This record gives sequence, C-alpha cells and structure tokens, in this order.
Amino acid sequence: MANHLFAAIDVGSFELEMGIYEMSPKNGMRQVDHLRHVIALGRETYHTGKISYRLVDEMCRVLEDFSGVMKSYGVEDYRAYATSAMREAVNNRIILDQILVRTGIRVRIISNSEQRFLSYKAIAMKASEFEKIIQKGTAIADVGFGSTQLSLFDRDSLVTTQNIVPGILKIRDILGQIRASGSTEKAVIEEIIDHELAKFRKLYLRERDRDIRNLIAVGDAIVALMRGVTGAGATDHITREEFSQVYEKMMNLSVSKMADSFGVSESFVELLIPAAIIYERILQMTGAEMVWAPGTRFCDGIAAEYAQENKYLRFAHNFDDDIVAAARNIAKRYRCGNNHIQNVENLAVQMFDAMKKHHGLTQRDRILLRVAAVLYGCGKYISMRDYGICSYNIIISTEIIGLSHREREIVANVVRYHTERFDYDKADIRTAKLTAMLRLAVALDASYRQKLTDCRMAVRGSEFVVGTSYEGDLSLEKMAAETVADFFEEIFGIQPVLKQKRRG
Amino acid sequence: MAEIDARFVKPENFVNRELSWLEFDYRILEEARDKTIPLFERLKFLSITASNLDEFFMVRVASLKDMVHAGYTKPDIAGLKADEQLTLIGEKTHELVQMQYSTYSRSLVPALKQNGIRLLDRHEELTGEEGAWVDEYFQKNVYPVLTPMAVDSSRPFPLVYNKSLNIAALIRKKDGEGEVDFAMVRVPAVIPRIVEIPTGQERVFILLEEIIERNLPALFLNCDIIAAHPFRIMRNADLSLDEEGAEDLLKEIEKLLKRRQWGEAIRLEIEDNADKRVLKRLRKELNIQPADIYEVGGPLDLTFLMKMYGTDGFDYLKAEKYTPQPHPALMNDDDIFTNIRRGDILLHHPYESFEPVVNFIRTAARDPEVLAIKQTLYRVSGNSPIVAALAEARNNGKQVSVLVELKARFDEENNITWARMLEEAGCHVIYGLVGLKTHSKITLVVRREEDGIRRYVHLGTGNYNDSTAKLYTDCGLLTCHPQIGEDATAVFNMLSGYSEPLQWNQLVVAPIWMRKKFTRLIRREAENARAGKAARIIAKVNSLCDRDIIAELYAASCAGVKIDLIVRGICCLRVGVPGLSENISVRSIVGNFLEHARIFYFENNGMPEYYMGSADWMPRNLDRRVEIMFPILDQELQEKAMHILEVQLEDNLKAHILKPDGSYEKPDRRGRAPVGAQDTFCGEAVSVVRELKARQDPVNTRVFVPVSGSRQETQ
Repeated sequence: MANHLFAAIDVGSFELEMGIYEMSPKNGMRQVDHLRHVIALGRETYHTGKISYRLVDEMCRVLEDFSGVMKSYGVEDYRAYATSAMREAVNNRIILDQILVRTGIRVRIISNSEQRFLSYKAIAMKASEFEKIIQKGTAIADVGFGSTQLSLFDRDSLVTTQNIVPGILKIRDILGQIRASGSTEKAVIEEIIDHELAKFRKLYLRERDRDIRNLIAVGDAIVALMRGVTGAGATDHITREEFSQVYEKMMNLSVSKMADSFGVSESFVELLIPAAIIYERILQMTGAEMVWAPGTRFCDGIAAEYAQENKYLRFAHNFDDDIVAAARNIAKRYRCGNNHIQNVENLAVQMFDAMKKHHGLTQRDRILLRVAAVLYGCGKYISMRDYGICSYNIIISTEIIGLSHREREIVANVVRYHTERFDYDKADIRTAKLTAMLRLAVALDASYRQKLTDCRMAVRGSEFVVGTSYEGDLSLEKMAAETVADFFEEIFGIQPVLKQKRRG
Repeated sequence: MAEIDARFVKPENFVNRELSWLEFDYRILEEARDKTIPLFERLKFLSITASNLDEFFMVRVASLKDMVHAGYTKPDIAGLKADEQLTLIGEKTHELVQMQYSTYSRSLVPALKQNGIRLLDRHEELTGEEGAWVDEYFQKNVYPVLTPMAVDSSRPFPLVYNKSLNIAALIRKKDGEGEVDFAMVRVPAVIPRIVEIPTGQERVFILLEEIIERNLPALFLNCDIIAAHPFRIMRNADLSLDEEGAEDLLKEIEKLLKRRQWGEAIRLEIEDNADKRVLKRLRKELNIQPADIYEVGGPLDLTFLMKMYGTDGFDYLKAEKYTPQPHPALMNDDDIFTNIRRGDILLHHPYESFEPVVNFIRTAARDPEVLAIKQTLYRVSGNSPIVAALAEARNNGKQVSVLVELKARFDEENNITWARMLEEAGCHVIYGLVGLKTHSKITLVVRREEDGIRRYVHLGTGNYNDSTAKLYTDCGLLTCHPQIGEDATAVFNMLSGYSEPLQWNQLVVAPIWMRKKFTRLIRREAENARAGKAARIIAKVNSLCDRDIIAELYAASCAGVKIDLIVRGICCLRVGVPGLSENISVRSIVGNFLEHARIFYFENNGMPEYYMGSADWMPRNLDRRVEIMFPILDQELQEKAMHILEVQLEDNLKAHILKPDGSYEKPDRRGRAPVGAQDTFCGEAVSVVRELKARQDPVNTRVFVPVSGSRQETQ
C-alpha cells in the first residue's frame, strides 16, 4: 500500500482527540477520521492541581477505544501528546504509567512552546493562505483551555510568541471561585485579560511601532464563534466589524439562544463567553482588521510534524528560521543583537557544517547551536561579570517557540558552560559538543571586530584548521582560541588551529 | 431561529393525529372494498386494517389512557385533551369496525363463495359430514393443548393475555340447581387459526374458535353450556422506558417484555348478541368501560385473513406477483465497489431489487481490502443475510460495529436475539442510545485502496430488512462521495459516544440539526416566492404531524409557494383553508406495496435540491431519534427522484386526495388516462432491464467481446 497511516492523539485540557491521517509522498496528507471525547481534565488540574482517578479511568477507556480504532485502520505509527492539564497535574507521571499499562499507548507530555509550535505548523499547512497573510503584520491568537498564546509575525518571520493570559478553563475556575454575576463576569474577565495584554503591548507593539493587520485565530472555541458569525455558510474570514457585531449580540443572548445560534451544547456556551472576550480584547489591542480562522486542530499539527519528519510533506515556510528568529528577538530585547553576535552565529554554523563527519550531531543540534550563539551574551543585560549564569537564567525562563523544554535546557547549559567550568557529572555529551563549538566560535571573534568574516574551516588530519586571509592582528583571537583548544580537543579529538595566510 | 407567526399555530389549523390516523385505516379499508382489486388482495387489505387497528390501540390509545390516568390535561396541537380525543376516537373506531365487518360479511364472504370458497365463521353452518371431520380434528389436534378454566368462589378469574383469543362460557352442572358458573378457555395460538376441511370438491375453511366452541361440552363434562362467545382483549402496551439510570438497557427491555402482558385492558372485542351475563362478567373482571367494548358481527381478529391469503392454490385471485428487477448500473461483471466508483447509484425498492444492498455488505465482508463495516440496524428480517454477512466480516478480521436499536417497537425480542449473536461473533455492538431511538439507516464500508482510504456508504429510507424490502417502497443511495463518507464516519463516531463533528458536509442529522435544516429550506422557498422567484416544495413522507413544520408550510403557502405533499398516513395539516393553505395539496397513496420512502424537493430558484431520508415530519423523528437525511447530488439521480415524485403526483388510481373537510377522496379521472404509480414503476423497471439485456445480448449486437486476461479495476 502506498499510503502510510498515522494517528495523532491530543490529550488536551478539555478533550481527548484523535485524528487518523493518511500520508504519501505523492498526495501529501489527508485526514480520514477524527474523534473527540469531552473530558475536562483541566477543570481538575487548574482547581486542585491533580487529576482524579475517576477521570484517569475514563481517559484510559477512551484511549483503549482509540487504540481499537487505530487497529481498524491499520495505523502504522502514532504520536500521543499531552498538554497543559496533564503538564500541570502533580500526579502526571503516575497517570502516564497507568495509560501505558492499560492501553499500550505511550503519551508524551510536551511543553507549551512545543505545543504552540505544532499548532502553528498546522496553520502553516494551509500554505497559500498562510504565506499570504504573514507578509503583513499578523498576530496568531491561540486561545486554549489552559492558556492563551499570542504570537506576532512581521514580513514572513516570527517576531515573538508569548504565553500571556489564562485559558478558558482557568478563567472559568477563577469565576467559579468569586461567583460573579452575569454582568460583572464580563468585567472581571476583561480585567484579567487587559492587564496581561497591556504588558504585551508595551513590550512588543508600541515600542516597536508594529502594525498588526491580521489576526489568525485558533483554538477550540473559534470554530463555534465563526459559525455564529457566518451562519451556515463556510467562510473562514471575517472583518473586525463583523466580529464585533456578533460579539455585541452574543453578550445579550441567553444561554439556550446562544447554544442554538452557535450550534454548541449549553455547557459549552459557558466556555464560549470567556473565549469570545479574549479574542475581542486581543482584536482591540492589536487593532487587526481581519480575522482568519483556519479551523486547524492540535492533532493536525502533530500529524504535520510527523509528515514533515518522514518526508510526506514539505512546507513552503521554513520553521527553523522561526526558531532562530524568535531567539534573535529575545537577543534584541536584552540588547545583544549586534554584529558580534551575528558573526558568532555564522562562525558556529560554519564550524558545525565543516565538522559534520566528526561531531555526529543532527540538524536539530545545528539549530540549538545557532540559538545558543544568538543568546550567549544576553545575560550581560543584567550583569557584565556573571553573564553566563544570567544568560542561563534568562533562557531557562523565556519560551522559545519550537523548542522543547529539554532542548531549551541544553541551550541554556551550553551558554552557561561557555563561561563557567564544564560540569562533567551533570552535562551530557551533546551539551559538551555544542559547548566546545560555541566556545571556539566566540573565541574567533574575541576582539569583537569581526575579523574572521571570510574564514575557511576544514578538518585536516587531527587538526581543525581555521584559515583566514585577514592580514591585521589576530593575537586576541589566537589567544582565545588557544584557551578553548584543549576542551575542544578533549571532546572531538581534534586540535583547533587558527592560520593566517600571508599574501605572496 | 426566528419564531413562527402565531397565527399559523392556532389549534384550529390542525387535525388531531389519531383521527387522521383513523382516516388512513379507512383508506386501506377502501381498498378492501374496491371490487376492481383481486379478491385475495382485498382480504389482505382488510387484514391490514385489523392489525393496524390493534397496534393503534396498543400504542396510541394506550398512551392517551395513560395521560388521562396521570391527570395530564395539556391539549394536543388541535386543542384536544386526552379524554376528548378518546371520545372522538371511540366514535370513529366503532364506525370503522362496523364497516370492516360489513365489508367482511356482505362483500368478501359472498365473493369467496362465488369463487367456490366457503369460509365459515359459525360452526352451525357445517354440514354433517364436515362436522364429523371437524370433531375428529378437535379430538386429535386441539383437545390436548386446551386448558379449560372454570371460575367459582375458590378459583379466581384467570388472567387474560393481551391480544389472545378466548372463549367465555356460562356453564351449569347437569345435576346442579341452577348455579351458573363462568368458564373460559384460551384458543391456542400454536394451532392454525383457520382450518381447511377436506371435502374433495369446493374448498371449505373454518375458524379454530368455532371448532372449540362446537366441542365445548367435551371440555366441561357434566355441565351444560348455556352460552359461549369468543372474545379478545387488548392491553396497554406502550413501553415508556425510563432510560436514565437504566444500567443495562438490555435487561430493562427484557423485563418490560414480560410486563407488557399485564397492562390495563383497553379494548374488549366480543361477538355481537353475546349473552348479557357473559358481557357483564367480563366488564367487571377486566374493569373495562362500555365505550371500549366492541361487539362485532363476524369473526374476531380479522388478521387471520393474512393467513388465508397465504394458503396455496389461489394465485388466480391475487395480484400478479412482481419480481424486483436488477439495477441497470449493476448489470455487469464488475464488483459493487467498482460500480459505485463509476457514479452514485439510486435504488428504488421494491421495483429494483434489495439484493445489491445485501451484496454490498456481503462483498465488503469478503473483500480483503475492506477494513471496517459499520451499520445501524433497526428491524431486520428473521434470518437476515445482512446479519450473517456482518458476522462473516468479523470472522474475516474486519472491524464490525453495529448499532442495534432495541427500542424498535414490538421487535425487541427479535432484536435481542441476533444482537447477542453478533456480539458473540466479536462485533462491536452498541445497544442504542440513552434517550434516543436510532432510526437512521446507514452503512459505511471503509476500504483501503491504491490511492488511499475510500469510504462507501449506503443510505436508505427503509430498514435493512430483505423481506420488507419486497413490500415497502423505499429508496437507497450507494455512493463513495468523499464528503458523504466523511459525514458517515462522523455519524458512527457520534453513535459510539464521541463528540459531534466540527462540521457536517452533506448529511443532515436529527435530533440536533435536521429540524433547523428543514425550517431553513422551507423558509428559503417562502423568501424566493415573496421575491417573485420560482418556489416549490414537494415532499413525500409517511406522516406529517409536526406543528412547527406544518406552520412553516402554512407560512410558505401564504408566501405563494406551491406545495405538493404525498403523505401516506397521518396528516395533521389542513388543505385549502383560505389565508392559510390555499397552495398546499395533500395526497395519500395506498397500494399493494407500502409507501415508505421519504423524498423532499426544494426548488431553490432553479437550483433544485433533493433529499431523502429516514425521518418523517413528526416530532418524534425530528427531536427524539437519530435520523439521517441525505442529498441527491448527481443530476441523473435527481431526475430519477423527480420522476418518482411526478408519477406519484399523477397517480389517479391509488391516490386519495385530502379535502378541506379532512376527508379523503379518490381523484376525478374523467378524461384522463389511468395512472397507477406503483404499477408504472414496476413496468418501467422491467422494461429498462429488458432493453438493457437486449442491448447486451451478443446475438443482437453481433459483436463478440473477448474477456481480457485480468480484469483490472478501473479507478
């Protein structure tokens, strides 16, 4: 059979969801089945911090059923990811084990940044529309049950992405605790959101003078909201005015009327209201004129990632660039986005490629090295002296879309070991290799003068030769390179050498 | 959705549904009275009126009685309270029964006699020779299974089973001093109700209860039989299941089946001129109102006429038997999947055979590329080839999911048996949904093909029952349209307990979406009419009694939409009321086949939309059942659907036209060629097949087509 069958499972905060996808290099990817089961894991996690056994049991039953459906389609591979509700539950490791034992399904808890990155990949699958929209200033608002993620695009590249306000279920939980009446409810929600949004705006919109034209809206409630706007017709674009009209109308409807006109159950309506308010506030803040709801699901993102990795799908958009772009924006925020950094990044990449046969690392590590190079000096914003540990702390507490928590840890450690003594007990070999390369790359611009912009690098025998035709003085670089050479040699068994070619 | 104008929902705009139902039984009775129809067919129609009436009592009358007991006083759409309805129903039913028996004894029995058939409903009419044969028959076959029950101070009144036929008698000890006792014997259901007496010449039939009555003295030795009368009662049988909290639906239904026999007596039938003492005793013991007693001038329970219809040797008195024809699109050597890929196939049963549907499931069960078969089953035949095919599919390693509706009225026992069988075979069986009856008829076959997963879907208006498919007119669509496939998958996911899909592409599903869709479709026609655009609605349903739908139709009529309705049974809509329904016509077709298809046509300003489905325009279908309506998208099939509707609208033989006063009347045929829709469809199906066969016949084409080595499937 030409087609590969893949299942994507989303253990979400409000629903268990499974998409079955068919993939082939020729026809790309197509969803053949989609199952949803409402189970409000988030309600428990956000309220008590734990998921009760009753829900775990229900979850296992549904997942067992999913496993049966997978078999019936002859699914060859699957990925099951759990998001915020499971991530934040203190008993999540016990639950994962339960699930594995009872259903045979291996669920992985992924970080928020990975999760958002996948949602974003799902959007980018709708390539033609996506590429068109992000040419102008665009924000992606991903309003989930656990939290809301806001990302900004400008001219084809990602500017920033922030996990800003609580998600729908969290807001519900807060409202449940303060027992607000209908009218004050709206005001309370607005207060919660506005404060967060104001901070976001100050940092990323007003300061940078960015012009946001489009809002890409994703999340569980937007499909229903769009239905309310467009009726039965299937358009996924609406203007801000249209949205506002429906929003106004909606706020005056009774629960049953709302359920009727948005085509959802009455219990879903109480989630629809906070969602609508969040979207509305974001629209207000960004001033976007157009809303596009691509209707993609998290499962689509899981499948898209899988399809991309297995070469069933090719994206027009370069996601690696997004990761690096996000890192650059962080660097900019901490005033370290300068020529030196650019030069270090280039040197590091050049080194990585030249050493390909000797380091045994993957393309993914290449991105981590780039990110480390971009961010290695960001701690100087806080302390010029102890910038290593400061950089480490900044990276550890800043989300970088597309990187998992583990990957971000590697980057942070590489940056820290760049200045601090390498800890052989704690760090793994991957970190060691990247550290060695970053140290050398930084050393090669020790004068901060970008003297080696056109150097050549190659492994010759037991030497890693950096050759340059630069004619001026390179003593700082040479000295720095010598300082890091031992560590480099220790890791790769190759001695780095800086050679200055003399003309004639 | 906006509210409907209040003036359309006033009670006087509606006909009570029970009274309308009785009108329907009258129309069937009219067929029994129609002398142009073969005699045995008339027997059958009379039998149908009787079995219909039984069901009507057990379900409808029973629930009205429940309402009265419960003190429920909310009026129906026509403004009648339950007790008022019962009064009206009582009057009308007594008239109907009167007419049934006058048809029987004044028309049918004499006609049988003319044809050399003696049907005796009084044992007194037996000749001496016949009497002797009957007595011997009694001794040999009947006597051993009888249980005579006498009632006196030490023995309580025996339990009388629902729908059972009994003989009540008054007896007096031969040596006694005038003490009259009540006695009863149940007419055994295990012995055929009609018994043929071999005479060598003419054919003579007698009813079992007459044989027993004649031989009563043999049961009550030493007693004088003072009076003896067959009687029959009907009990409250409507199952209103409390599903919330019913842990195991299956068990609950099994319990109810037993309880059904013990309900309150709601009708007593007894032969007329019965002894007053017998009647009085029965009234007292059964606690039955005088209005619920039906004294009939003929044999009780006329459903025995169906058995009569089934006796051998009377083909010359029956309508010519019709053989369902193959569908032209399937008259080739390719498998059904290949044929469906060539284009959607619309089957019109019973004119076209139901075989392709069975074949569809059977082929799927054996096809190595098929991954899964999913189906909803409502009522299936006793020895269903579909159930067998599903079990086979499971044995072949397919994933088989079946939703078995246990709540199918009066069929529960049957359903439980084969549902268990499927479960034992390893199929995933869902026993219905809490609070909803699954009435949709859908089959989904998931097949893994070269270019990916393809879904084949069968959608029908009738049950997956190969026996009734020969008698009910239904439509079915075989398609592999991807959007319908996607929706079908979503339907089964929902039936398995998963959330609704994010959107529906083509299918319209009740309970949540269908009512809204109909409202939108009707309103769109009304808007078009108001805007001076072409607007028309044709709908063929079995029943029309939904208040809101009728009100929408009134509104559309007032807007100028021409509306033609073909409603077989209940119709609560009034036609031809000035300022309300001048543009609406209603006709009902009662023929040899039971009209059962639901077809909807909406003009949509020249871009007509056609739908078919499992739902009638009844509140229960739209609100409390899982129903599916599917569009007919292919233009050729749309023409076929239109043809079905057009021919039915032209029918002037079997059609009855609804009059403003609520009665029905056969159309005036003067100057018009007679058109019988069912006969037309039979003829057409036969001639299409004949022509195609002629075209395919090598002798006619004069071309021999070599069969190539491997028959590759064309994609």
